[in-house]
Amino acid sequence: MVAKLSQLQTELLAALLESGLSKEALIQALGEPGPYLLAGDGPLDKGESCVSGRGELAELPNGLGETRGSEDETDDDGEEFTPPILKELENLSPEEAAHQKAVVETLLQEDPWRVAKMVKSYLQQHNIPQREVVDTTGLNQSHLSQHLNKGTPMKTQKRAALYTWYVRKQREVAQQFTHAGQGGLIEEPTGDELPTKKGRRNRFKWGPASQQILFQAYERQKNPSKEERETLVEECNRAECIQRGVSPSQAQGLGSNLVTEVRVYNWFANRRKEEAFRHKLAMDTYSGPPSGPGPGPALPAHSSPGLPPSALSPSKVHGVRYGQPTASEAAEVPSSSGSPLVTVSAALHPVSPTGLEPSHSLLSTEAKLVSATGGPLPPVSTLTALHSLEQTSPGLNQQPQNLIMASLPGVMTIGPGEPASLGPTFTNTGASTLVIGLASTQAQSVPVINSMGSSLTTLQPVQFSQQLHPSYQQPLMPPMQSHVAQSPFMATMAQLQSPHALYSHKPEVAQYTHTGLLPQTMLITDTTNLSALASLTPTKQVFTSDPEASSESGLHTPASQATTLHVPSQDPAGIQHLQPTHRLSASPTVSSSSLVLYQSSDSSNGHSHLLPSNHGVIETFISTQMASSSQ
Amino acid sequence: AGKAHRLSAEERDQLLPNLRAVGWNELEGRDAIFKQFHFKDFNRAFGFMTRVALQAEKLDHHPEWFNVYNKVHITLSTHECAGLSERDINLASFIEQVATSMS
Repeated sequence: MVAKLSQLQTELLAALLESGLSKEALIQALGEPGPYLLAGDGPLDKGESCVSGRGELAELPNGLGETRGSEDETDDDGEEFTPPILKELENLSPEEAAHQKAVVETLLQEDPWRVAKMVKSYLQQHNIPQREVVDTTGLNQSHLSQHLNKGTPMKTQKRAALYTWYVRKQREVAQQFTHAGQGGLIEEPTGDELPTKKGRRNRFKWGPASQQILFQAYERQKNPSKEERETLVEECNRAECIQRGVSPSQAQGLGSNLVTEVRVYNWFANRRKEEAFRHKLAMDTYSGPPSGPGPGPALPAHSSPGLPPSALSPSKVHGVRYGQPTASEAAEVPSSSGSPLVTVSAALHPVSPTGLEPSHSLLSTEAKLVSATGGPLPPVSTLTALHSLEQTSPGLNQQPQNLIMASLPGVMTIGPGEPASLGPTFTNTGASTLVIGLASTQAQSVPVINSMGSSLTTLQPVQFSQQLHPSYQQPLMPPMQSHVAQSPFMATMAQLQSPHALYSHKPEVAQYTHTGLLPQTMLITDTTNLSALASLTPTKQVFTSDPEASSESGLHTPASQATTLHVPSQDPAGIQHLQPTHRLSASPTVSSSSLVLYQSSDSSNGHSHLLPSNHGVIETFISTQMASSSQ
Repeated sequence: AGKAHRLSAEERDQLLPNLRAVGWNELEGRDAIFKQFHFKDFNRAFGFMTRVALQAEKLDHHPEWFNVYNKVHITLSTHECAGLSERDINLASFIEQVATSMS
């Protein structure tokens, strides 16, 4: 049969075949009918089809038999519980399988709710339908949805299947990095690239980034030409790639969620129909039944015929969802209702769940509108707008939390003692929680989520420069607390001042270049939770409340055991002293999340940015190694 | 071939974290990214290099690399802009994909 190929020859052949070379082309290139090839036709055939189907080429000579055998397995129903995933595990090379297993194990040890949020945000980021997860893991869709959205407990083995899918799916991210059609599919869990699997492709879904672009274009012009549509296609694909943290030139990796002109065309057509329908609804309800449109409390504007309040809903939906100034979307609504809309979106500017209220009233308005007319069915999209409205309420609530996750890449590396403290923090009613790092807009935070996921798998240590030490505050003594009772701003300042005093006698830059790796981080809540703090802090530091005004003098970095920090009295001098040092905080090794804390601290006004709504809580990071590194 | 313009700071912030997470590092004194791979043996290493080479030809963007037995050191930079460009990101991504599929 086939002369035994040396392993190198096998490798090279495999590389050639994988690069898209067809067998016939290869034979022709060889310039001869290749009698030895004819003999090898059979196995090579299978090998090639395996190549395109699997990509595990390194095993080609030995693997011919194996892959042929396992090809049958790939046609197996994904409905089976764990076996298909496990089988695919065998199909991988041992190192990759072991690596994946290790990651899954790590995830299983973590707090299930936290991992669930991670998985959910990944699904949202990549617009993956739940159906795909359900098909490959065999989990129950309702159970899965409840677990991801509400934290309904899920047994370990099922969670293992979910995490395995998740880890495997993240390979899709690697596949994003190939050109269209290049490289092929490694295994099914990508879900959207194997048409032979019962002809099922994931249904296309508009991502929030694309929708934003489209709505903006829609208000400019309701009927774009083909060129404009093509421009929009490029823009949307670029935005979707960016949302996934991928180079925009790899748009083909979007797979089933790739935006095309046809889809853009359909989107505009649907929007136009939707608007016409809502116009009709408004006409009917305005002149119709006494229940009338009755705009909700957040929409004081009367519904002029040309402007049913419901027309605001998609823009409001997106205003709520993005928390960004939707002034451009507000412009979609002509001036008569412009001002109330602007006030609503103005209220949404700070990403805080206080923005939930407008959406709640919106919901009631919209519901009234749609139910008021017993007429023809509304276009599907208005219903989906409704549905997504409902979702934005919990969604928005989650978003600050997701952003918390995003801006705290070190969170997942926290040891077992920590999650207990983090739980209550996250479930804090959003109005009283402020997370530093939310200064960035939505679009920027999403890629961070992705990197958070990758930082988990690689357990990358989070680097903080030492300037962050000044902000890390051990529990304050009660006398201190009474001082700061006046305003939360002062509380922050006091917190920030005292450890800073440690360095106050040497404010040069040199002091701050000494940077240590701080893999462990801890969240600290505000001064009102001192008891919790006290139980959390593992470092041994002794604080004395020093009423002396001179914070500059007599502060010595302790030589040995404990670090003594003098708490200065709060005078403006102390505050001002804080600022220049913070200005020095620009260190290239600081991760982006920690930088955000200091970017706005250039002036006292900057500090007020930290507390835009005068919230009393500031969450900062503390390094458990601070003691050692400060010694 | 993709765009050969030097990546701006925002683009780097978007694109480089993914690569950094898998082990690519920026070089000192040079606007380039670098990673070291090692494989089980020379055959695997060279098979990897062959795949990368074929793709590099296709992209018309070639890596700077060094190979000794089972180790491959790759440096990516774009000559036209004397720094990092989208081409480097693309090739790095492809290299990652090949490396994970191989080992």
